[in-house]
Amino acid sequence: MPGELSVLMEIPKDAAFACPAANVAQTLAERSGFDRRESYRFQLTVEEFILCLIGVIQEGDGLRVILTGKRHLLRAAFAFRAAELSLGGLNSAVRDVVRSAGEPPRDLGLLLAAASADRYNLEHQGGDRFRIVAEVDRRYPEPPPVHAPQNLQPPYRIVRHPDAARLTQAAALAVNAYPAWQSPGCFQTPEKFADLADAGEIACVLALDAAEQTAGLLTWSPCSDQALYFSGPFLFTSGTDRDDVARLLLDGFLEAVAREPHAIVLSVRATADLLPGYFEPLGFLQSCAGTVCEQRPVVFRHLREDAGMAAWCSPRIEDFLRRSYAGLAMTRDILPVEEPGGAARRESLLGATLDRWRDLAELRPFLDGQDMAANLTAHVKAIREKGINTILYYMDLSRPWDAALAGDLIRSGFSPKLVLPYGGQSDMVVWQHDQTV
Amino acid sequence: MIRLFDRAPDYVRRFERYVPSRPDPELMRQYGVSHLYRLNNNENALGPPPAAREAIAAFAPGRAALYPSGDAYDLRQALAARFGKSPEQFLAGNGSCEVISAIIRAFCGPGDAIVTADKTFAVYEWVAKFSGIEARLVPLVRQALDPDAMLAAVTENAKIVFVCNPNNPTGSWWDKAALERFLVRLGGRALVVLDEAYREFLDDPDFPDSMKIMERHDNLLVFRTFSKMYGLAGLRVGYLCGSEEAVDMVRRTHIAYSVNALGQVAAAAALENDADHIAATRAMVEDAGRFLRGVFDAMGLEHLGGAGNFIMVRTPVSDTLLYRRLMMKGVMARTMTGFRYPNWIRVSLAREEAMEAFASALRGALDVP
Repeated sequence: MPGELSVLMEIPKDAAFACPAANVAQTLAERSGFDRRESYRFQLTVEEFILCLIGVIQEGDGLRVILTGKRHLLRAAFAFRAAELSLGGLNSAVRDVVRSAGEPPRDLGLLLAAASADRYNLEHQGGDRFRIVAEVDRRYPEPPPVHAPQNLQPPYRIVRHPDAARLTQAAALAVNAYPAWQSPGCFQTPEKFADLADAGEIACVLALDAAEQTAGLLTWSPCSDQALYFSGPFLFTSGTDRDDVARLLLDGFLEAVAREPHAIVLSVRATADLLPGYFEPLGFLQSCAGTVCEQRPVVFRHLREDAGMAAWCSPRIEDFLRRSYAGLAMTRDILPVEEPGGAARRESLLGATLDRWRDLAELRPFLDGQDMAANLTAHVKAIREKGINTILYYMDLSRPWDAALAGDLIRSGFSPKLVLPYGGQSDMVVWQHDQTV
Repeated sequence: MIRLFDRAPDYVRRFERYVPSRPDPELMRQYGVSHLYRLNNNENALGPPPAAREAIAAFAPGRAALYPSGDAYDLRQALAARFGKSPEQFLAGNGSCEVISAIIRAFCGPGDAIVTADKTFAVYEWVAKFSGIEARLVPLVRQALDPDAMLAAVTENAKIVFVCNPNNPTGSWWDKAALERFLVRLGGRALVVLDEAYREFLDDPDFPDSMKIMERHDNLLVFRTFSKMYGLAGLRVGYLCGSEEAVDMVRRTHIAYSVNALGQVAAAAALENDADHIAATRAMVEDAGRFLRGVFDAMGLEHLGGAGNFIMVRTPVSDTLLYRRLMMKGVMARTMTGFRYPNWIRVSLAREEAMEAFASALRGALDVP
């Protein structure tokens, strides 16, 4: 099976091309080794998105579609220009609302397209240019049992590019040794972790002992243009060696990313084996299951010197922001924004990522709209109904319209928990929905 | 439909632009301080030598209307006289960074590689990467460049070996014997570029005389700068010296007229009667180094330094956090994560007042009485 297949199509504004494009998607899925169910979902995703977007793009324009088949997923990227964009159907959590309101078929198509994919993302690329990326994941088998290495002995060393078998073993060891919320989702099926590493979508440092036994692991992957998200360190040693292995992993990680194009590294699932002094605590997020709640630390560090910047801020969170920046010894020019007096667009658009493995839902605003407060409430309701307890919302302070949504968030039961420097285009406020609301 | 971003080569898209620090007044406003000690760029706190100061003062403003000498003619004459070489063996650039670019453009093409250390001056690696050239990075051993591993990294497509001597930021250096052994074992398989930006801070008979060694090894190129010892960082003048044939090749890929007229005049003057200036600078650096080593020892902090007007210290908090805390006390140090030394900072060795300000700020930032 080839490592990666890619097809590029320029499709005119003509619905007749949706079906042939779906056939191309099917062929790509088959050639990439995906089974019938995943292939069909991918086909449906491509066809429905094209049908919907044909109705959105401007006269005389086309739709640029790039289909990619990787070992672990199928991806369809749609680039287009649209003067009046209404993608309310992409608000996957409010599908019932959409149906009962009798929305036009275009939105139902979008709903179908979004539901067929495992995830999607909408990027506003400036002016009237947009890009939607939708992905369908491969299904992986359950992992076989794994046994912890015995009698690990120094000297320890790290390797940057372990082979797939070693990666699979290390991920399985981490799942056995640490709570589920501290591991990346791909650790559930360790073969996927190895495929992601092979595709360059996740990176790691792995520690070996004197006898080449797996002694530790730390992984990372980009979570924005400016930020890397890390998990670990996962240690499989005992006693005093643990600090030595942790130090090797942390130094190896930071040296590996030091000259890469990212400004920060962060984690909301760092393990208790993180050594003091390497990262700055930003605060805590609360996670509750049943009646038991725990505070989970959020840590970060800059990879470069902070140059300072401006941050848009609603008066509703100005005290919180100033307090947070003072605690971080970080200088920012706070620019005030007022609550929106009336958004031009009727429908807002939220992106939702659900992770049952870590009991986590993450919301990001893609487009502002008059219905933002209702949309937030509908998302929260739908997420809660799915049994997910931790709901986060990310506010990028580089966008005045985004910063101005503080009032809507507070009214919807969210509170600002921490500031993540350079977490988005600029700093990001992480909001959490109050679980008692 | 193709975005501007997608029109750039992949190796450019993946490269992150360098963000220089903001001007002092802006930084002071941001951090709410009334004075800022800049200890991040290893500038010479004594400034330029007297002859260079006089040349700068005598520079008539009207000359700004005229193009400078396109190939720094007078400066090359002065360098040739200083080192007993032909002016054709010198090439002046807008700081040594420009010369690094010219060397890589001259000798590397698609599929080629350069070899350098993983923890050294970043510009060799950066220029290679944003030019689509592989940067092969060899780990330091005991905080020094490892000649054996660097030799092993020189395969057929490796065209240049960059050796920062003394190494920034560790201050370690190859002595005469180490460099000679390296060149002999390399056997002319690649060009060797010695970056001697901090060479003038050393007064050790074992330090290699590269200007002599290049007479036996025509694959050796050396560059130096007027930004460090000669205190002319603001005028950006660096130079390259090598065999006429090698320099001619680099000149082909070098942009003429890149060194401004004032810089050329000041650099040429800086070479005149520079002994007192060099001695005074070395004395200041030695005093500052002794003082800071005492401070670090008293605080129980590991430090690392050798040749050059800088010292590194390992910090108990992240270097980027310490940077911000020091800035709030009016002191600017260099974070070392970007040099692959996480949780270290580098501090320029400067005058007593600045060193005391740094020591006080460090104690305050780390909450040490």
